[in-house]
Amino acid sequence: MIPFDLKSPLVLYPVRHHSPVCSYHLIKTIEEYKPDIILIEGPENANHLIPSLVHEETQLPAAIYYYYKDKKKLVSDNADDYKCYYPFQYSSPEYNALVQAQKLGIEARFIDLPYCEILIHTTDGAGMRKSADKHSYTDDSMLVQSRFYEKLCEKSEVRNFEEFWEKYFETDGLYISTSEFVSLMNTYCMLVRHSTSEKILEADGTLSRENHMAYNIIEAMKSYNKVLAVTGGFHTSGLYRLIQSGKVKPIKIHKITNDNHGCYPMAYSYRAVDSLRGYSSGMMYPGFYDNAMKYMLSSENPVGVYNSGTLNLLTETAKKSAKKDIPISIADMTAAYSMMHGLAALRNTKECGMNELIDAVTSCFIKGEKTVSSSLPVDILRQLASGNAVGKIGDKQYIPPLITDFEKQCSKLKIKYTSSVPETIDVSLFTSSRGREVSKFLHRMKFLGTGFSKIVKGPDIYNNQDMSRVREEWKYQRNPEVDSSLIDHTTDGFTIEEACTNYAGKILDRYRKCSAAASVAVDCFQMGIKLGSAEQKLLDEIITADGDFFSVGNGMRNFETLFRLQNLYNFQDDSTLRYLIRCFDRLVSALPLMANAPSEKADEIINIMRSMYSIATKILPEKTEYLESALTSIAGAEEKEPAVFGAAMGILYAIDSKNSADAENAARGYLAGTVAIRKKGADYLRGLFTTSRDIVFTDSSFLEMTDQLIISMDYDDFLEILPSMRLAFSSFTPNELRIVAKTASKLHNVNENDIFMKPAVNEKLFLFGENFDRMICESLNMEGLLNE
Amino acid sequence: MDKVFIKPPVEIRCADELRLLRENDTGKKPENWFLSPKAVRTFILGGKIKTADGTVIIPRKFYGNDALVERCIITLAGNRGLMLVGEPGTAKTMLSELLSAACCGISTNTVQGTAGTTEDMIKYSWNYALLLAKGPCREALVPSPLLIGMEKGIFARFEEITRTPAEIQDSLISVMSDQILNIPELEDDGLILARPGFNIIGTANTRDKGVNEMSGALKRRFNFETVEPVKDVRLEKEIIIREANDLARSGHIDMPVNTDAAEILAVTYHELREGIDSDGIVVDKPSAVMSTAEAVSVFYQTLSHAWYYGNGTVDMKIMTQNLIGAVCKENKDDLEKLRGYFRTSVKNKSEKAGGLWKDYYATAKLLK
Repeated sequence: MIPFDLKSPLVLYPVRHHSPVCSYHLIKTIEEYKPDIILIEGPENANHLIPSLVHEETQLPAAIYYYYKDKKKLVSDNADDYKCYYPFQYSSPEYNALVQAQKLGIEARFIDLPYCEILIHTTDGAGMRKSADKHSYTDDSMLVQSRFYEKLCEKSEVRNFEEFWEKYFETDGLYISTSEFVSLMNTYCMLVRHSTSEKILEADGTLSRENHMAYNIIEAMKSYNKVLAVTGGFHTSGLYRLIQSGKVKPIKIHKITNDNHGCYPMAYSYRAVDSLRGYSSGMMYPGFYDNAMKYMLSSENPVGVYNSGTLNLLTETAKKSAKKDIPISIADMTAAYSMMHGLAALRNTKECGMNELIDAVTSCFIKGEKTVSSSLPVDILRQLASGNAVGKIGDKQYIPPLITDFEKQCSKLKIKYTSSVPETIDVSLFTSSRGREVSKFLHRMKFLGTGFSKIVKGPDIYNNQDMSRVREEWKYQRNPEVDSSLIDHTTDGFTIEEACTNYAGKILDRYRKCSAAASVAVDCFQMGIKLGSAEQKLLDEIITADGDFFSVGNGMRNFETLFRLQNLYNFQDDSTLRYLIRCFDRLVSALPLMANAPSEKADEIINIMRSMYSIATKILPEKTEYLESALTSIAGAEEKEPAVFGAAMGILYAIDSKNSADAENAARGYLAGTVAIRKKGADYLRGLFTTSRDIVFTDSSFLEMTDQLIISMDYDDFLEILPSMRLAFSSFTPNELRIVAKTASKLHNVNENDIFMKPAVNEKLFLFGENFDRMICESLNMEGLLNE
Repeated sequence: MDKVFIKPPVEIRCADELRLLRENDTGKKPENWFLSPKAVRTFILGGKIKTADGTVIIPRKFYGNDALVERCIITLAGNRGLMLVGEPGTAKTMLSELLSAACCGISTNTVQGTAGTTEDMIKYSWNYALLLAKGPCREALVPSPLLIGMEKGIFARFEEITRTPAEIQDSLISVMSDQILNIPELEDDGLILARPGFNIIGTANTRDKGVNEMSGALKRRFNFETVEPVKDVRLEKEIIIREANDLARSGHIDMPVNTDAAEILAVTYHELREGIDSDGIVVDKPSAVMSTAEAVSVFYQTLSHAWYYGNGTVDMKIMTQNLIGAVCKENKDDLEKLRGYFRTSVKNKSEKAGGLWKDYYATAKLLK
C-alpha cells in the first residue's frame, strides 16, 4: 500500500483530473503538510506559464496549448504536426495545487516529459497518438478501460464509471477523512493499474513519463525537505514503485528548436472541455462541478453541496424549459425533487448527484413518449450542467504568434479588434486596394474557422451567383473563441497567411475530391493566396485520380469561374488554366459513359455538358473536336437517357448546324413509338432545347413535332409529360416564347394572343388566392409569427 | 392432482422469491407496501440476498434500462401514477405486473383498456339483483379494480389506457388528484378515501398514439417512462432462449433449444427493427412490430413444430415460414422488405459465417 504520511519528506497525492473532491482533500493536505515545493503532473516545458494561469485576472476555464512540428521525423516518418490541450477549471486539483503554492509562496513545478518527448515515446495509435480531432493531456481513460471496472460496476449495481465515481468518490468522498479518501483512491487506481498490461503502458508512453516524473521527484527531494507530488491516481503506484527501487535514470531529451515546439496559455470554454471528454476521458458536466468546487471553497462544510447544486440546476432547467414553451409546474418540480432524493436513497448515495437529477427530469418533466423533441428538458439540463462560460488569460506576457499577427493585420487595415461588440463593414472590391485587402483578410479569418468574420452579401463565386456585386458586406466580432481558434492553428503557421496556406494544403489532402479541391481553390482566390508547388501538384493528382464525373464537373465549373475572374480581381495564377484543362480532359473521356445515366442525374449531366461546350468555344477551342467526338458517342449509344441524348444532339447542332437533320430524325423516332416511347420524347426535347433552343427557330419542324407529341397524348399521359415540357421551354426568353406562340397558333388557326396572352389563372381564383394570402399574413402578424 | 395453469400470475410463479425477500427485507417500506423499494429492485433486476440458510440468488426478470426500473419504483412510492409507454412487445405489461406483485403482493388488480371500456368498469357498477332487492347499499356495489386498489391500499393496473375513449380516461383525474372516489348513491357512506399504498400503473402503446390522446390534465398526474426495445443483440438472444425454454417447459416440449438458431432470429429481429445490419448496410424496416416478444413467439412455434412434426431439431425452413407469418401480417410491402433483407444481409452473413446462416439463406426461396 502507498503510504500517506504527512511527516515523511515525500507525499504522493493521487487525483482524477477536474475532480472537486480530489481538490477538496488536496487543499486540506497542503494546509496540513505545508510542503516546500509542489510537483504537478504536466509537461515541464510549460513551467514558465504557471504565473499566467494563477494570475489574478485569469478566469477559468483556461488551457495550456502545446504544439510540436515533427520536422526532424522523431515521432514518425510522416513529419506531422501535433497539438494537445491541458485544460484547467476551478475544480481541477492541478490548478488548486498551483493556487495553494502561490498562497504559501512556494514553488510549483510541472514534472512530466515535454509534449514532444511524450509523443516520441508513444507508439502510433496509442495514448496521445490515437486518431482524434483533439487531444487532451488530462485524458484519464486508463481509469475506465480495464475489465476490473466493469466487474466493479456490476457488483456495485451502477451503470457506468461516471455513476460509480460520482457515488463512491465525488459525494461519499466528502464524508470521509483525507487519509481515508487517499487510501480509497490509491486502492482503486492500483487495482485498475494491476489489470493493465505493461505492454499497453509501454506503448502509450506511461512508463517513460513515469520514469521522468520519478526522476524529477527524486531530484527535488535533494533540495527540499517536504515534497508534495500531485499526479493522476493511475501513475501514483508506478511512481511509488520507481522511487522505492532507486533505479531511476534520466531520459534523454532531444534538441528541438523553439519554432518547432512550444506552448501558450489560452482562454478555454466549458463546451471545449466537455468536447474533449470523449469516451470516459475526463469528468462530465464541467460547469456543474466547477460550481460545486466554488461552493466548497466558500463554505466551512462541504456537506450538502450536491443536494444544493442539483436543486439549483433543477429550478434552472424548469425556468429555461418554460421559456421554450414547455411549462413545468411547481407540482412537477416537487415530484422531480422527491424523485431525486428517492433515487439517492434507493441507490445508497449520500447526496443527489447528476445521475439522480437526470433521472428525475426524465421521469417528471417529459410528458408522453420520450423522443428527440420531447427530451428537450433533459437536453437543457445537460447544457446547463456543461456550462457555457468562456475563460480569460489575465497575463498578456505570452501572446501566441497568430494572435499577434491578427492584431497587427487588424490595426493595419483599421478593423476594430478590441471591441467585443459585433461590427459591420462594407468593402468595395474593385475601387480601392484597401477594400480588396480587407476582403482578403476577412476571407482568411473565415477560412480558418475562427468565427471572427461572416459574409452577409457579396459575389458568390462557389455557385457563380450574384457575380454583378462589386461590394461585400461583412459582420465581425472578436470573442475568446476567436483567440482559441487562432491558437488552434499555431501548428499551421505563425502568420495568418502562412496558416491559411498550410491549412488549405491539409484540406486538400484530407478530402481528395475534385469538387472539394476546387472549393479550396476558390477560397484561396478570395484570400489572395497562391498554393505552393506541393499543393499544386497535389491538386493535379486529385483531379487526375477523381473518378466521380459530377465531382470533376463541379470542380471544372469553379475553375472556369476563377479563370474568368483573374483579371478583374487582379490575381493571376497560371495553374488555374492547367486545372481547367485537366478537368475538361477527364470529363471528355468519361462523357460517353453518361449516355445511359439514371434520369435523376440527367439535369446535372446536361449542366456539365453545357459548361463543357461553353469552355470549348470560349477558352479551349482546340478541344472542340474531342467534345464533338464524345457527344457523337452518346448519340450512337444503344441505350440512352433521352434528356442527355437530346442535350448531346443540341450541342452537336450548335457545333455544326448540319447536325440538325440528325436531331430531327431522333425526335421523329420518339414520336413514331408507343406511348411510353413518346413520353421519352418529351425528355428528349427538354434536353435538346436546354442546349440549343435556336434550333426551334431555324426550322419549324421541331415545333410541329412538339405539337404532334402533345396532340397524340390523352389527358393523363399529357399530365405526365407536362413537367418535362414546361422545363423544355423554361430556357426560352419571353420574346422567343412569343415567336413560339405565333408559330403554334398558325398550326391551329387561332390568334397568337389567344395562346400566349391567355390568362394563366382564372381572375376570380387569383383574387381569392390573393385575399386568402393576405388574411393569413395578417393573422400570422397578429400572433407575432411573421418577421417581415 | 395439483391444478395446472397456462400462465399463473407473478405472485404465484415467484412466490418463493417474494417470500424470501419479504422475510429478509431490512429496507424502509412505504406504508402498506409488500416489499421495500430496495427489495423490489432486487426482485426485478436480480441480485443476492442473505438468508438464514445462506445466500440466495434472485434472477433478473427485466432486461434493459435499470435506471428506468428504479425511477418506476420511486414514482410508485410517491403521489403520481406511473405510465409505461413504448412499442408493442417491449415488456411494459410484464414490468407492470412485476412492480405490482413486488410492491403489493398482487398483480391481478387490473383494468384492460379497450374501445368499449366504460366509466363503470373504471369506478364501480352494481349487482342489479341486489340493487333491486336492497336498494343502493355496499353489498350491491361491484367495486372496480380502481376502487379495490383505493380501499386495500394496493396498485390498480390500467392496461392499454389509450385504447379507452378520452372522456373515460379522464374519470381517473379526480381519483388521482384528491385520492377520493365519491359514490353518490350510497349517500354518507359513499365517500371512499384511498388508503396509503394505492397508486395506478398505466401502460400505453406508442402505435396507438393519437387514437385516444390523453388529456393534458391526466398527463400531469403521471410520470412517464418510455420502455425501449432491447438494444443489445446478445441480450435479445438470451431472452429468446430463456423465454422459449420456459414456454417449452410449460408445454412439455422436452428438447434442447438450438442456440445458433435463436441467435439468427435475434439478429434478424434486431436488424430489421433498427433498420441497419451489422455491416452497416441500411435495411428497410417492416411496418410490422419487430419486438422480442414476437421473436420468442416465432421461435417457440418453430420448437413446437420440431417436437410434434419433426425429428426434434429446429428446421430453418419452418423458422422462416413462421417469420413470414409474423412479419407479413398487415402490409404486403413487408414481404418485399424481408426479401430485400435476405438478399443483402442474410446473403452476406451466409458467405462470411457459413453454418446455419447458409441454411437460413437457402430458405429465401420461401419468400414469395
